[in-house]
Amino acid sequence: MRRLGLRARVTAAFAVGALSLSASMALVSYELTRRTLLDERERTVLRAAYYDAAVIRAGLDTDSPDAAEALRALDTGTSRRAILLLNGEWYGRAADSGITTAIPARLRDLVTAGEPAVQRIRVDDQPFMLVGVPLSESASFYEIASLRELEQTFQVLALALTAVAIMVAGSGAALGWYATRHGLRPLTAVADAAERIAAGDFTTRLAPDTDPDLTRLSTSFNRMVDELAQRIDRDRRFAADVSHELRSPLQTLAAAASVLARRRDNQDERTATAARLVADEIDRFQRLVNDLLDLARSDQPVDREPVELVELARQACRDRDLPESMVELAADTPATWRVDRRRVAQVLANLLDNAERYGAGPVAVRLHRDGDTGVIEVDDEGPGVPVEDRNAIFDRFVRGRAANYRGGGDGTGLGLALVAQHAAGHGGEASVSDRPEGGARFRVTLPGSLS
Amino acid sequence: MTAVLVIEDDDRIRLALLLALEDEGYDARGAATAEEGLRTQRRDPADYVLVDLMLPGIDGFEAIRQLRRDDDVPIVVVSARDDTHDIVAALEAGADDYVVKPVAIKELTARLRALRRRARTVGTVETAVPVLAFGELEVSPEAGEVRRGGEPVSVTRTEFRLLCELAEHAGRVLSRQQLLSRVWGYDTGDERLVDVHVGRLRQKIELDPANPQHLVTLRGLGYKLQR
Repeated sequence: MRRLGLRARVTAAFAVGALSLSASMALVSYELTRRTLLDERERTVLRAAYYDAAVIRAGLDTDSPDAAEALRALDTGTSRRAILLLNGEWYGRAADSGITTAIPARLRDLVTAGEPAVQRIRVDDQPFMLVGVPLSESASFYEIASLRELEQTFQVLALALTAVAIMVAGSGAALGWYATRHGLRPLTAVADAAERIAAGDFTTRLAPDTDPDLTRLSTSFNRMVDELAQRIDRDRRFAADVSHELRSPLQTLAAAASVLARRRDNQDERTATAARLVADEIDRFQRLVNDLLDLARSDQPVDREPVELVELARQACRDRDLPESMVELAADTPATWRVDRRRVAQVLANLLDNAERYGAGPVAVRLHRDGDTGVIEVDDEGPGVPVEDRNAIFDRFVRGRAANYRGGGDGTGLGLALVAQHAAGHGGEASVSDRPEGGARFRVTLPGSLS
Repeated sequence: MTAVLVIEDDDRIRLALLLALEDEGYDARGAATAEEGLRTQRRDPADYVLVDLMLPGIDGFEAIRQLRRDDDVPIVVVSARDDTHDIVAALEAGADDYVVKPVAIKELTARLRALRRRARTVGTVETAVPVLAFGELEVSPEAGEVRRGGEPVSVTRTEFRLLCELAEHAGRVLSRQQLLSRVWGYDTGDERLVDVHVGRLRQKIELDPANPQHLVTLRGLGYKLQR
């Protein structure tokens, strides 16, 4: 199960806390109210029963006691019913007959033994209070008072208290939600700042004095960004310095080599060969420096703009004296893609160079789409790439070991690594598979370039 | 013979460049500092100036500005620095082109030839109409003049060539690649060249360069000159 978020957890805790608090409050007040009301009712019923018992006792205190006559003298209203047990016979009002069965035997025994007693009973699912008062050895007086109204009051009270408890729990949850929104606002600011930094904006800082409790967070966050920015700046400066220090002597070498090349006809064979080796290696060294610098910088964010990809691919072919006609644009694919021009140009160049160097020459550059992902495929007619090498060839300084590898060593070993880096910079990837007609098919995906 | 001034503080690079340029048939002169280069150029102007950016004393950017103040000699930066920031700053200072070391001599001379072609076509545009007017802005391709509200505006050769190209296609969009090939003569090249030169041109011909009325950008497409 997915772990709940901080905010959901805080909200739930607030809700549960509020609920348990309000529920126990409600329970306590319900119980207190119930007991108080019941006690009061019991006292009232008792008082009435003793009064009625006194009336009955007076009514029976004659020579020929008439139970029915004595009962009739009572004014019990509708909520109380009086029953008289006289010499083992039950007497009640006509309408009350049958209720005697509801009087529990234990209570009757108690009253018959001369003890007044009170008990709450249920008859036909209706609540009643039963009071038994001994009148004499042979007579007991019972009074049954309905508790229905009181029970209804309790029900209403319980309902009201439950509603209040639920409302309090809801308010607690709302309070938790509201409090976390405020509480998490600084964290949201941190997240926003971190996202901006990840996108390459190293000027982003947190305001240091918004909240005294969060000063430590914002100062340490800002210090981290400062150090990160410094380190990146140092790396960049180092790359620039290395670039400068390597390129300056290369300029001397390149110019000097061209002077040597001009005089090739005047040189003996050995000197000419040596001069050619020097010139070739200077050329390779130069490309190596450029590729290394590109690789070092390839983690910088891509700079997308609308680019005529077909034109870019044709240009790459023209630059290598390859026929432009090998560039194929799928019918459903627009000619203009949103990509980083420099990097995609390098992807095309490196894939074509790779096909020339290791794949017996490129045969097709295919541009098509997969949803909003632009796909570049470069096909060659070479021996293809063995399955076990298909990941490794995109690593740095790995060169093809294919059968017809020309062995000239004129590659830098960084071309496909750069292709993979530039694809990753666009959020895509580079891969290689078999071309159905034989040879290799290099594929580069550029997500978001056709949205 | 075409004269090239090489302002480069590294003795070995300067010597190698001079040797290679002489091989290619140029009258190559060297200067180890910007001050020396500026003096040489004032005394005996060369047809092109190659300048390094990191120089002792006056740096390359300032040297370009001072050279630019005197005349419109084509200036090519030859620097080991390939930071976008440096390239844009050098072009904004007034350089016509920018190459990153190490540059092959063949490529360097090809760029110089392209600059010369450009310089020569100024004033001899075939389809030229005497004056192309864009509101208060007037371009005379044949006379090689630009006027704003009747006042002559001083532009470099590259800027003028760029303006003429846009003026001849008035109201139509030219992409950066088209401008690169027509104005600089490059099949492929750095589009920042175009952007920086357009920016410099705006400073000179627009009343409010930040809010251009004539030389407008069409996002993702290119530039257009309009009335």
